[in-house]
Amino acid sequence: MSTKGKSRRSFLIQSAGSLNAAWIAAHYHDILSAQQYASKSDLGGAPPKLAFFTAEQAAEIEAMADQIIPTDDTPGAKEARCLYFIDRALTTFAKKSQSVYTQGLVDLQAKTQQLYPNAGKFSALTSEQQIKVLTEIEKTPFFNLVRMHTVIGFFARPENGGNHDKVGWQLIGYDGSLNHKAPFGYYDAEYLKMSANRGGKI
Amino acid sequence: MKQYKPSQEVDYIIIGSGAAGGIMAKQLSTAGFSVVILEQGGWGKFGREQEYNKDEWLQRNLSDDDRLMSNPQTQRNTYRKTDKEKAVAGNHSYGCVVGGGTVTYGSSSWRHLPYEFHEASYDQTIPSGTGMADWPITYEELEPYYTQAEWETGISGLRVNSPFVAPMSKDYPVPPMPLKSSGALMKTAASKMGLTVVPGPLAIISEDYMGRKACVNCGICSGYGCQVRARSSSAVTVIPVAVKTGRCELRVKSYVREITVDNSGRATGVVYFDAQKREVHQKAKNVILSANGTESARLLLLSKSARFPDGLANSNGVVGKYVMFGNGASASALFEHPLNEYKGVISGAGIVDYVPSDPKRGFYGGGRMTARGYLTPLELGLNGLSPGSARWGVAYKKALREEANHRMTITCFVTQLPLETNRVDLDPDVKDDWGLPAMRITSSAHPDDVKNMEFFRQKSIEVLETAGAKKVWAPKVSESHGGAHNRGSCRMGNDPKTSVVDKFHKAHDVPNLFVVDGSNLVTGGRNHPTMTIQALAFRAAEHIIREAKNGTRRA
Repeated sequence: MSTKGKSRRSFLIQSAGSLNAAWIAAHYHDILSAQQYASKSDLGGAPPKLAFFTAEQAAEIEAMADQIIPTDDTPGAKEARCLYFIDRALTTFAKKSQSVYTQGLVDLQAKTQQLYPNAGKFSALTSEQQIKVLTEIEKTPFFNLVRMHTVIGFFARPENGGNHDKVGWQLIGYDGSLNHKAPFGYYDAEYLKMSANRGGKI
Repeated sequence: MKQYKPSQEVDYIIIGSGAAGGIMAKQLSTAGFSVVILEQGGWGKFGREQEYNKDEWLQRNLSDDDRLMSNPQTQRNTYRKTDKEKAVAGNHSYGCVVGGGTVTYGSSSWRHLPYEFHEASYDQTIPSGTGMADWPITYEELEPYYTQAEWETGISGLRVNSPFVAPMSKDYPVPPMPLKSSGALMKTAASKMGLTVVPGPLAIISEDYMGRKACVNCGICSGYGCQVRARSSSAVTVIPVAVKTGRCELRVKSYVREITVDNSGRATGVVYFDAQKREVHQKAKNVILSANGTESARLLLLSKSARFPDGLANSNGVVGKYVMFGNGASASALFEHPLNEYKGVISGAGIVDYVPSDPKRGFYGGGRMTARGYLTPLELGLNGLSPGSARWGVAYKKALREEANHRMTITCFVTQLPLETNRVDLDPDVKDDWGLPAMRITSSAHPDDVKNMEFFRQKSIEVLETAGAKKVWAPKVSESHGGAHNRGSCRMGNDPKTSVVDKFHKAHDVPNLFVVDGSNLVTGGRNHPTMTIQALAFRAAEHIIREAKNGTRRA
C-alpha cells in the first residue's frame, strides 16, 4: 500500500475505509491525548470548548455533520457531538487534515454562493438547500473526510470523544458490553426453543 | 526468565513463537533442552492479557509497540502475478507478536482430512501440470498429534461422524461454542438442501480449561487479543509452560537475518537484529525455523554462503516454491429479524458437504462454508451497508438502523492448487527497514481455483436465499496474494530433489536445521492450516527429542 505519488488528500480518502493503520500509528500519541481529553470532556454535561474551529466554521461543520447523520425521531450527529470529535481530531491525530478543512470550508462557501447567491452561509440554508449543496460536493475529498470523521465520531467508543451518551450505538442496537450470553439473536433463540420442544439435542 | 549469552551455544534456537514455534519451545524445554526463541514482534500483552484493548477505534490506530500483525510499511514486501511483471508494493501481513498469528486469528481448528494427504495420487479431478504431490506422511500417522494438539492447547468442538470431517480418536476437550443465529439459519437452509452443518472447531474454550476461563462472547474477536485468555493462543498455552521450565528464553523484537553455517555445512546459530537494530550472533547446536509459510522461505534464501550460494537448504531450488495464501469466497444477506452476529466468536457453524472435490463439478476444488463475519459499529458506519445504500443523510441513517444486526455473512475457505510458479523470493530492488531484500511474492490462481471460488460464491448465495434472506449480495471472487494463511513454500517430502525437508522436518541439506511451520504443508487443505501446523509441530518435536536423546544428533 504505497502512498508514493499520491496527494495527501487522495491518500486520506483512500484510507477512509481501512483507516490506514500505518498513517495513524504515526499519530498514536495524539490519539491517546485525544482519548484522554475526550474522557475528561465527555463526563460532564456541557460540550467542551473548541480547539480548532472558529465559532463560524463550527456552525458550518456542524450543519454538514447534521446532514450526514440527521436528527429525526432519533438523535443524530449533533446529539453525538460529532463536531467536538472532529474539532479535537484536527488538533491531534488528524492535524495534517487541517488544510483540507480550511480550504474545504472556503469551497463550501463558494458552492453555497454559486447555488444560492442570496444566502449568507451554508448553515443558514434550509435543509433542502443544504442537501442540494452537499450532493454537489459529495465526491470531494473534503466531504468524504467530514463524512468519515462524523461517522467515527458517531460510532467510536464514547471514551474516544464522540458518540455522546452512546446515541450512535443506541441507533444500531449495540450496547458496548463485552460479555454476552446465548441466545444472541432471534434465530438461534427460535432454534433452541424448537429443539427443546422436540426434547432433542441441539 | 532464563537468560543466555549469545556466545553460549544453546541446544535449540527457535525462530518464531507462533502456532509451531510455541509448541516446539514447550516440548523441547520440558524435555530438558536449552532453548532461545527469537520473535520479530513485540510482547503484546503477554502475561497481562486483560489489558488487550477492545476499542475498535484504537485497534485501528495501534502504535508500533501495540501491533499484533506485521507492518508492510516496514516489513516491506512486493507482489506480482507472473515472472514477466515487475513487482509492486504488496500488503502481505501476518501475526507478529509473541504467539504469532494465534493471538488474533479467527481460531478455526479444522484438521486436514485423511485424503488430503494423498490427493495427488488418487484424485482424478486434479488438472495436469500443477504442483500437487502426496505428503510423506499419512493422516493415520498424524492423528495422535492432532489429538495431542487439541488437548494441550484447548479446542472446543463436536466430534462428528461424517465423511466430510476428519475422524477423531478422542472427543474435543471442551464442547462447541454456542450456536449463533447465523448457524441456525444455515441449519434451516441445510435441512432444505440436504446439507450437513457442524459447529466449527475453535481454539476458543467454551468452558474453563487448564487454568483458563471460558469465553464470554464479547464479540470483539478476530483481529483482537483476547482479554480473558479464552483464545488458546501459543501465548497463553504452550509458551508460559516453556518459560516456566527455566530453560527457555524468549527474546522479542529480534529480527533474524541469517542462519549461519560452518564449513561442514552445519548450522551454527543465527544472526539477528535486536530492538536497536544491533546485530547479535546467537550460537546454537540446532536451529528450528518456525517463522511462517513465507518468512521461513525468505530467511533460507537470505542465508547465502559459499557453501550454499542459492540460499540454505535450497540446493534443489525448491525453497519458496508452491506457496499458497488462502482462497475464499463470500456472500452476505439481510434477514427480517435481528441476528446480533456481533455477539460471540467470529467463526460459527460450517457446511461441510463440499469439502471433497467432485468430478461432477468439472474442476478440482473443495472447501468449507462457514458462518463468519460481523460488523463492529465503525465497520458498519464507514462502509458496511449493503451495496447501493446511501452514504449519508436520512436514507443512510435509515439503512443503518435497518441493517444493523440483521446481517450474516458466509465465508468459504477453499482449496488452492500448489503451483511451482507461485513463490516467495527476494526482491532485487526493494529493501525492508533493516536493509534486507524485501520478500517478493509471485502468485496467480490456477483457473480451477477461480472456478472453485465461483462455485462457492454461488452456493453461498443459494444457502442464504434458501434460509429466507430478504436481500443477498456477494462480492466478485478474487485471488489471494498475501495474508496470514500463507503456507507451502518449504514442502516436506521423501525425495531430496523435490522437497525442502524430510518427513521429520529436517532440511535435506542441513543435518541440524529443521523447518516446522505452515511452509511444510504439501497441500493447503481447505484453507484452515493452523491445526495441521500444530499437529506437525508436536510430531516433529517428538522425533527431534528422540534423535537427540539416542545420540543421533548433538543437542
